[in-house]
Amino acid sequence: MKDLDAIEHLIGRCALKDRNAFSDLYSATSAKLFGVILRVLNNRAEAEEVLQEVYVKIWRNADRYSTGGFSPMTWLITIARNAAIDMLRKRKGTGEQMPEGLAEAMPDSAPGPEAQAVQASERERLDGCFDELEADRAEAVRGAYLDGETYADLAARFDVPLNTMRTWLRRSLLKLRECLSR
Amino acid sequence: MSEVPEKDDDVVLAGEYALGLLSAAEAAAFEARLGAEPALRALYVQWAEDFAVLAEDIPEEAPPARVKAALDRRLFAEERPARRGLFERFGLAGLAAAALVVGLFFVVGLPGTGVQPPENPVYHADLRAEGEEDIILAAGYDATTQEMYVERRGMQDRPERDIEMWLIAGDNPPVSLGVLPENERIRLPMTPEQIEVLQGATLAISDEPEGGSPTGAPTGDILATGPLEDV
Repeated sequence: MKDLDAIEHLIGRCALKDRNAFSDLYSATSAKLFGVILRVLNNRAEAEEVLQEVYVKIWRNADRYSTGGFSPMTWLITIARNAAIDMLRKRKGTGEQMPEGLAEAMPDSAPGPEAQAVQASERERLDGCFDELEADRAEAVRGAYLDGETYADLAARFDVPLNTMRTWLRRSLLKLRECLSR
Repeated sequence: MSEVPEKDDDVVLAGEYALGLLSAAEAAAFEARLGAEPALRALYVQWAEDFAVLAEDIPEEAPPARVKAALDRRLFAEERPARRGLFERFGLAGLAAAALVVGLFFVVGLPGTGVQPPENPVYHADLRAEGEEDIILAAGYDATTQEMYVERRGMQDRPERDIEMWLIAGDNPPVSLGVLPENERIRLPMTPEQIEVLQGATLAISDEPEGGSPTGAPTGDILATGPLEDV
């Protein structure tokens, strides 16, 4: 994969409707995004469909990227993950659609913090903070992010009442943020 | 959770939103606040950045080539009903003229890529190299599709270089409209911000490295310019 500056440059070119840049961006990032989508959906046909939708969104919303405050891979991964989870929930017929306004549809006037590059140290920091949570609670947060599990899914998986799961997860989020801000 | 300070509530809420755990109504309420509350937005962006690190473990998987092919067809196949529009405009009374137009299309219209000039361009520009008479590129803005139609007139590509088109409005720095593909006729989509400044602006093309200017401003020779004029 190209480095983050190169990815950011390509997204900027897509905002100017540069088709060559779009092809380059696809070459550089589609394997990662396809992996993320497959992880959520576990179904290749659906994943291909979603990947196509994701790059349509990237092409159409590239002009909003620069004002969103996301680092380039986070922006791309967030769009892919959210689209995959949408498909998953559509398939399951649960009412909980991913909200419309996630990354790709952000209000473009809102200021954001400077985008940060995700580095190896970020990874260690995150792993360290997940390790401070009890194992099953860390697993619940990972399940929500990586597999798109809902509160109901998680409550069933860990065999606890729904409200207990909510409390677990909310406390875990607070602990994570406290640790990550240290 | 009533004892936690309000800021902690927002930290948790932004995290739940980033994970997709909120109900549709809760998510809508959260989004309604996002535009007006930069601090809340920063909390959300922070969570999105942190959680995206989790995706590093997911193995990459090259998608099959058919996905990109379908994507290109969907985004870039240009089928515009330009000819039918012309027939309608001429109507029954103009059969002779219509026949002439049809003839013209068979001569010049069909061999192209299917990209047609705008029927009623709002602005038009002829681009010439400095001090030269010959038009090497013509452009017209199509307000119905919000695109800049660009037609090459004998312009040559330089090997391993790209030609990039720029919009220059007043004293503002040039804004890229994109790299011109080698097609004889193309349509470049325009953003509302670009459309707003078209009146009185100038179009220019520059010689750039492959993929376009690396800096966002013209870096190579200015090959031609032309003012946008009301049609």
